[in-house]
Amino acid sequence: MAGEAGLSKLPRSRRLVNAITARVVALGGAAVIAAIALIFFYLLWVVAPIFAGAEVETGERYVLDPAEPLLVEANDSEEIAVRVAASGTATFFEIDGGRVRDRVDLGRELTAVQPLADQTGMYAILDADGAMSFIQATYPISFAGENRTITPKLDFVFEDAWLDVGAVDAFDVHYGNFEVLIATVNGRQLSVRRYRDAEPGFELEFPQRGQYQLRRAYDRLYFGPRGRWVYLVSHAGAVEVVDLTRPTAPAELYVGRIAAEDSRISDVAPLLGRYSLLVADQQGRISQWFMIRGEFGQSLEQVRHFDLGAPARRIIPEPRRKGFAAIDAQDRLHLFYTTSARDLARHDLLPAEVAAASITPRSDLLLTASPDGTVQGYHLKNEHPEISFSTLWSKIWYEGYEEPIYSWQSSSADNDFEPKFSLTPLLFGTLKGAFYAMVVAVPVAIMGALYTAYFMAPAMRRIVKPGIEIMAALPTVILGFLAGLWLAPLIEANLTAVMAILLVMPAGTLLTAWLWSRLPERLTRPFGGWYGLLVLPVLIGTVWLAFALGPWIELSLFGGNAQAWILENLGLNYDQRNALVVGLAMGLAVIPTIFSIAEDAIYGVPTHLINGSLALGATPWQTLMRVVILTASPGIFSAVMIGLGRAVGETMIVLMATGNTPVMDMNIFEGMRTFAANIAVELPESEVGSTHYRILFLAAMVLFLLTFVFNTVAELVRQRLRTRYGNL
Amino acid sequence: MLHQRNANLRTWFRSGEPWIWMNAAAVGISIAAVVGILLLIGWRGFAHFWPASVALIGYQDSGGEQQVVLGEVADSELLPIGQYLESAGSRPDAVPEGMVQIERWLIKTGNRRVAAPDFRWLVAHRIDTIDYPPDVVVLERLEWGNAYGYLENVREGANIVSEGAAAWADLRDRLDRVDRLREETEELEQGRLFSINYQLEQLRLERRSLELGEKSSDAVAAANAELDVREQRLLADYEVAEAALRAMREELRRDALTLTTAGGQSIDVNLSQVMRAWQPNRMSWIDKLGHYAQSLGHFLTDDPREANTEGGIFPAIFGTVMMVLLMSLLVTPFGVVAAVYLREYAHQGPFVRLIRIAVNNLAGVPSIVYGVFGLGFFVYFLGGSLDALFFPEALPSPTFGTPGLLWASLTLALLTVPVVIVSTEEGLTRIPRSLREGSLALGATKAETLFKVVLPVASPSILTGVILAVARAAGEVAPLMLVGVVKLAPALPLDGNFPYLHLERKFMHLGFHIYDVGFQSPNVEAARPLVYATALLLVILIIFLNLTAIMLRNRLENRYRGVEG
Repeated sequence: MAGEAGLSKLPRSRRLVNAITARVVALGGAAVIAAIALIFFYLLWVVAPIFAGAEVETGERYVLDPAEPLLVEANDSEEIAVRVAASGTATFFEIDGGRVRDRVDLGRELTAVQPLADQTGMYAILDADGAMSFIQATYPISFAGENRTITPKLDFVFEDAWLDVGAVDAFDVHYGNFEVLIATVNGRQLSVRRYRDAEPGFELEFPQRGQYQLRRAYDRLYFGPRGRWVYLVSHAGAVEVVDLTRPTAPAELYVGRIAAEDSRISDVAPLLGRYSLLVADQQGRISQWFMIRGEFGQSLEQVRHFDLGAPARRIIPEPRRKGFAAIDAQDRLHLFYTTSARDLARHDLLPAEVAAASITPRSDLLLTASPDGTVQGYHLKNEHPEISFSTLWSKIWYEGYEEPIYSWQSSSADNDFEPKFSLTPLLFGTLKGAFYAMVVAVPVAIMGALYTAYFMAPAMRRIVKPGIEIMAALPTVILGFLAGLWLAPLIEANLTAVMAILLVMPAGTLLTAWLWSRLPERLTRPFGGWYGLLVLPVLIGTVWLAFALGPWIELSLFGGNAQAWILENLGLNYDQRNALVVGLAMGLAVIPTIFSIAEDAIYGVPTHLINGSLALGATPWQTLMRVVILTASPGIFSAVMIGLGRAVGETMIVLMATGNTPVMDMNIFEGMRTFAANIAVELPESEVGSTHYRILFLAAMVLFLLTFVFNTVAELVRQRLRTRYGNL
Repeated sequence: MLHQRNANLRTWFRSGEPWIWMNAAAVGISIAAVVGILLLIGWRGFAHFWPASVALIGYQDSGGEQQVVLGEVADSELLPIGQYLESAGSRPDAVPEGMVQIERWLIKTGNRRVAAPDFRWLVAHRIDTIDYPPDVVVLERLEWGNAYGYLENVREGANIVSEGAAAWADLRDRLDRVDRLREETEELEQGRLFSINYQLEQLRLERRSLELGEKSSDAVAAANAELDVREQRLLADYEVAEAALRAMREELRRDALTLTTAGGQSIDVNLSQVMRAWQPNRMSWIDKLGHYAQSLGHFLTDDPREANTEGGIFPAIFGTVMMVLLMSLLVTPFGVVAAVYLREYAHQGPFVRLIRIAVNNLAGVPSIVYGVFGLGFFVYFLGGSLDALFFPEALPSPTFGTPGLLWASLTLALLTVPVVIVSTEEGLTRIPRSLREGSLALGATKAETLFKVVLPVASPSILTGVILAVARAAGEVAPLMLVGVVKLAPALPLDGNFPYLHLERKFMHLGFHIYDVGFQSPNVEAARPLVYATALLLVILIIFLNLTAIMLRNRLENRYRGVEG
């Protein structure tokens, strides 16, 4: 730089100030620019984990006394695990280190241990003589100063513990709502016992019994959701579903097959909530089935399947999610998730005969137990398996639905609820809202801009332009509040009148124009640039006319109730807060943006072009249509894009002026749920780091990218416009 | 003849004249919308404080029986007959022949918990009589909204001290006394008691941080003993203040009154529950104006009551102002420095152009996205780290790791920084080259030119940018819902307790207040006027800010003319 040489002669302090200023300014500039980049990368950083796969790592090995294990399970906090063996002993050991903490002898040889659905740490146990009981492992915490100790305990759940159920081929127990249901199958006989008023610590008494003759013998039995029915599965693939809504009178619900004719079933497991059954066959395929209400009653249908590549040996469902692990004949572990149909990970297990296995409630540890007394742990890193590209954007067949659908339903009161994270209805809602807003805003804003820039008297323009621009600063919360509490009821009560405005207003304007053209020119000439003001009384008059005529039209055409008529004849629902209201309110919010930019573009068209056109004999209107609009079109386009960007991201108006239901329907009389409103409603309540939280961040990122695209396109077009003017 | 007229019409259409009119109509619609919205908010907002006359309305109910209600006419609307019949479920013969629209009036009858509901729709054609009895009394109650009726008597304890006409004058005197007492009680509660509670909480935190610290056990014991002494002293103070408060509350509850409703029911109201009492039908318009001013004052300076649907909005005004002030403190230096960098220091090339596009784009990114970023990055990431480093004694309850004033201001600063950058850059671009060169030629360094010449000349445009940023921030709600605004904040972010400014506190905001009261409150009908008044206040604030910015910009243009000339 030229100045540098002279600088060295300056006093030190001035040089210092100069240097520091340069540094600080550069640093500050860099900081702001970094902040901008940070927004995008932070969003990306939060979102990225949901697309990561799962990882499996071989963990600790615990050596207990050799015994045939029937169950191995860890407690909720993953500190202590219990192994129940056929010998009737339950062994508690520490997951960190494997120290045996306690050994409880139940006093009988056991043949089966069955965890109870919905009841953490509760198991049904069966001995060789057909006696059944219920035990519960609890892990109370005690504090001695700062030291926290867990003392595992094993107790019988009910007083006078053992019930005689006789010889059984398979059994399952449902315990919930103070009721114990025991279903057993022996040959072709299904027996159901119901114990009411079942409370821990009290005796199970006075069973009500139900019997049912099955079509054939089955060797597996599982309760359906909340004990409403039982699934019976044979190893050859036959299935029967028996309705137990009245346990004393079981009834047929469905009879069919759950596997191909020639295949053999190697394992079956119910998924969390027990709506779905997972069926593994010898061909190495695991399929998911659930009950669907169809034309001919309920049926069990295959919804999706997973391929293992080798015969499946065992299915291990996750206790708190709709995912599962599977072990195949080559001792490989697979991790799958049902909703997202994701094949998440594969891992070679250490060679051992797996007799019992389970996944912890947090889904990050898998325990397998072998008859030689070893228990092997595997660490699972599998935090967001429920998300894949298809769960976000495609139709998904959710449990209990008759067909695949798009759905956004992020939470529910039930623990066994299958979250539905499809962004498609939200994207649809966002675009629907933006579409109706643009339908309102684009014609008004652009026509207004044309008039203001080209025809309006300068004195009027000086007031009109900033006046409309001030609208852009009006908080959208106010527009939303007016839309929701004032406009929506007004439109509901005067729907016909509002529709009539669409006809009456242009007609009134044209009539005024015609009458105006009949007036002698010397009268009209001085008002040349003031049409915008002259037309105001006409507009107000037409609105009044429409409102006055509305009820008569409504009575004669729609029987006095337009909403009912629309529902009957067009099949459209009418919500009070609907897309029409949003379109009007959001349109109003977008008008100033589009108006201002478009007006600048039109006003900026060089005068020599206009004068040239006029000089060649074109009328002002022809000049406008053929010269001005064409020249200004990139600017107008960019105005529309920026307006669109604003409409897409608008939050408060949509939040307040629609019902926020995520429906997918273009019906103008129904509401929608947009990305922005959805984030505003759900983010404060979502758990930090959860899948839901990350998906809301993803929604924000999609919104960010959408508007970024619109704005960039607008900016590029505007720059092209600038070069074009440069040439003219 | 007809043919000729058609041809006329065709040439008229071809001339474009009708389309010009249509375009003019588009402008007209925009103007009408702007003016209409402002008028609507203004009308409804200002009307809220006017003491409306109370009407005694006699009407026939749908069963044909004669009824009377006492209340203010809050609203009226016309409803298509079909919708009315469907919603009322009544037989068609209940409506007079030939009617296409039903007019109904919304009557605010008040007296919640005595005669439900407190708002009632009356069908206009069933109304027989409308009177304005002069001795109707309206009570603004602390709870349950207004009460309407006739004053029967005023009591002190169980003794009736005045009845009939004398009661009104007596009531006014006694209400003045209650007012004074109430003020004193509030002062005690929010001043001394609040401060004691705050100090007790600080003591608890000090104790916890002693536990967490690595001092020797002797030192901890000594410090604990000292804390014990301080705690005892505070608790003793608390006892005294509490006793005083109890006594004052007892005094406050001394008087009561009996009100007779239109239906002839008697309501007992303790004077401690009465904020104000007036007889609207007897007031002259000057009285009403006085009442109006008083209501407006209460609205601006009082705390909200009844789940925000009654009382004032002072905390919301205060919160908005605090947040906007903090935000402008943050946004001004960064925005200006970034603009100076882009315009004066950075090498003008494709990179700078790219950044400029990015900054422009950022102005178009939806505000909710900033809210999401603020919640994730500022609140959970930065706030969580700050808590772990500096406030371990309060954990697990977060100090900065939860939405609050600081994070809200930061988020909005980020949201509005493009506005300041763009405006400042515009100002810098307009400064003639000759001015800078003159300064440099006189021997000033680049920094001196910047501080003494460039920035002063550009200051109006910087100010314009800041004002526009403030206007935007004041009206923004969506991101604030995520990063710090609550419907009811327990304490203001600024008070007399060290360190006076509590950046971690949650705050109330005018815009959010509108959303919350209008859409989340159980009694929307009762809350609606208040929402309009709040909206009006916000609109006035924002239009004022914008007009200031526009005027500054105009003045700036004149100034450059001077510089160039």
